[in-house]
Amino acid sequence: MIWKFKSLRDRELPLSKDSSNLFLKVMISISVFLFSVTLAGVLSINSMLVNWNSSILGSLTVQIIPENSVDKEKARNETIIQEQRTVAMLEAMPEVQKVTPLTDEQLQRLLKPWLGDDIKTQDLPIPRLIDVRLKPGADVDFNILAQKLAHIAPQASLDNHKLWLNKLINFAAGLKMLALAVLMLVVCVTSGAIFYTTQTSLGLHKDVIEILHLMGAKDTYIAQQYAVRTAWLGGIGGVIGVAISIPVIFLIAHLAQQIEGGIINEANLSTGAWIIILSLPLFSSLVAMQTAYYTVKRTLERMM
Amino acid sequence: MANNPKKDIIIEMENVGIRYGRGPEILSNVNLSLERGSFHFLTGRSGAGKTSLLSMMYLAQKPSRGRVSVFGNNVNFTNRNSLAMFRRRIGVVFQDFRLLEHTSAFDNVALPLRVCGMGEKEIKKRVNELLRWVEIDRSTSALTSTLSGGEKQRVAIARAVINRPDILLADEPTGNVDNDIAPKLMKLFVELNRLGTTVVIATHNENLIRDFKYPCIHLKNKGLSIVKPGERTDDMEI
Repeated sequence: MIWKFKSLRDRELPLSKDSSNLFLKVMISISVFLFSVTLAGVLSINSMLVNWNSSILGSLTVQIIPENSVDKEKARNETIIQEQRTVAMLEAMPEVQKVTPLTDEQLQRLLKPWLGDDIKTQDLPIPRLIDVRLKPGADVDFNILAQKLAHIAPQASLDNHKLWLNKLINFAAGLKMLALAVLMLVVCVTSGAIFYTTQTSLGLHKDVIEILHLMGAKDTYIAQQYAVRTAWLGGIGGVIGVAISIPVIFLIAHLAQQIEGGIINEANLSTGAWIIILSLPLFSSLVAMQTAYYTVKRTLERMM
Repeated sequence: MANNPKKDIIIEMENVGIRYGRGPEILSNVNLSLERGSFHFLTGRSGAGKTSLLSMMYLAQKPSRGRVSVFGNNVNFTNRNSLAMFRRRIGVVFQDFRLLEHTSAFDNVALPLRVCGMGEKEIKKRVNELLRWVEIDRSTSALTSTLSGGEKQRVAIARAVINRPDILLADEPTGNVDNDIAPKLMKLFVELNRLGTTVVIATHNENLIRDFKYPCIHLKNKGLSIVKPGERTDDMEI
C-alpha cells in the first residue's frame, strides 16, 4: 500500500473542521498515557523477571550451620574449617565463576535490621554464608553437589533460591499478563472510538463523498484523506499522552525505590524500554491511521 | 475485436426498469444504444425520468431490472474500482451543480484531475486555461459558495469537461447562464463531440433543440423514443 502524505491541509473533505477531532485527540492522549504507564510497568516487571531468572540460574548460596555445641569456640572453628573446605571445593568446580564467603561485617550488616547495631557475630551461632556465582550457561546438578558438600562439610546446606524466587516470578508473570491485557484493552477501546468517530464523519460528509465517487475517486482516495487526518490526531494525542506519562513514571519509580529490600529496585527501565515508550506517538499514529483507513474502506464498500 | 459489431456502442440499455424503494417504476422496459461520438438531447416533461436515466448513465444508480452496459461492461457485474475508472471517463453537469461549496472554483475544476493522480503543475495549467475560457478567471480562488448561479454552472461545466471525457452528460447545462454565454457553452459541447465525445444533454430549452440539429431521446409514459431532428410531433412535451 502506497501512502501519499501530500499535505495535512484539507483536500476535498473538510475533516479539520470535524467536531470529533478534539474528542479523538483527548481520547488518544488519555489512551496513550495509560498505555505508556502500563507499558513502563510491563517493561519493569520484565527486567525484574530477567534479573530474578538470572539470579536463579546463575547463583546459589551455601550455608554452614554452626554445630550445636557447648564449646562455642570449638563449634566456631569447626564451622570455619568446613567453610574453607567448601570454598576450596567450589572454586575447583569448572562451572563456578566466583566464590565469595561473606565476611563478619557483611553478615553483621545483613542482620542489622533485626538485631540492631551492637551485635557481635562472634558471640552468636550465626551460619557462615558463601555466595556462589556460576558461569553463564553452567549446568549444575544440585543433588550431586549437595551430596559432595555433605561429604566434606556435614553442616552445609545448599540453597539455590528457587523455592522463594519461583513464587515471586509466578506473581510477577501474572502481573505482567494482566498489564498486557490492559494494554490490549486500551488499544481496542481507542480503535473502537476511532471507528465510531470515523463512521460519524463519513455520515456528515456523505454529500462530498458522493461527489468524489461521481468524479471517479476510488475508496482508497477517500480513505487516504481520513487516514492522514487521523494519523495526525493520533500523533498529536500520542505526544501529549507520553509527555504526561513521563513524570508519572518517574514518580512511580521514585516511590518504588523507597521500598527497602532490593526486590523492586531491580525494576529499572533500560534505554531500550525508554525508546519504546518515546516511540508510542508513532505507534498511536499508525494504529489511528490503519483503523480510520479500514473503517472508511469497509463502510464505503456498502455504497454503490 | 475489429469484427465486434458492438464496438461503437458506448452506452447500452436493455429492458431497463428503475424504481426507488417500493415505489412505482419511473422508467420501464427502456432500450437504448448510444454510439460513440453521438450527440443527443434528452427531453421529456418534469418527472418523466430524465435525471434517473442520466444517473444510470453516469453510474450513480443501478437499474432495478434489465441490463445497463457502459463502455461494453455490464454495470451489475462490475467491481467498485472498475466503476470508479469508468466514471473518470464520464463528465457530468448536474442540474444542482453538486460543487464542493467549501472549496474554490479552481479546486472544484481540478477535482477530476486530482482524482486521477495528475501532477499539480499540469493541473494548474489546464484548470486556469479552462476557467479563463468559461470566464471565471477573476474568481478562481473564491469559495464556490460565494459565486452566482451562472458562475457555479460554468464551474460545473468546466469540471465536467476538464478531463476530456468519453461521455458528457449534462442536466440543464444552460439553465442558469446568461443568453450570451449559453451559445458559447453549447459550442464547447459541440467541439468536444467533434473530437469524439458522446454527448447527452437533458434540456427543456426548445431554442437549443431547434438551433442545434441533433436527435432527441424523448421520455414519455415511462418509456423512450428517438426523435430525429425536424421530426418533432405535437404530442412531444418538452
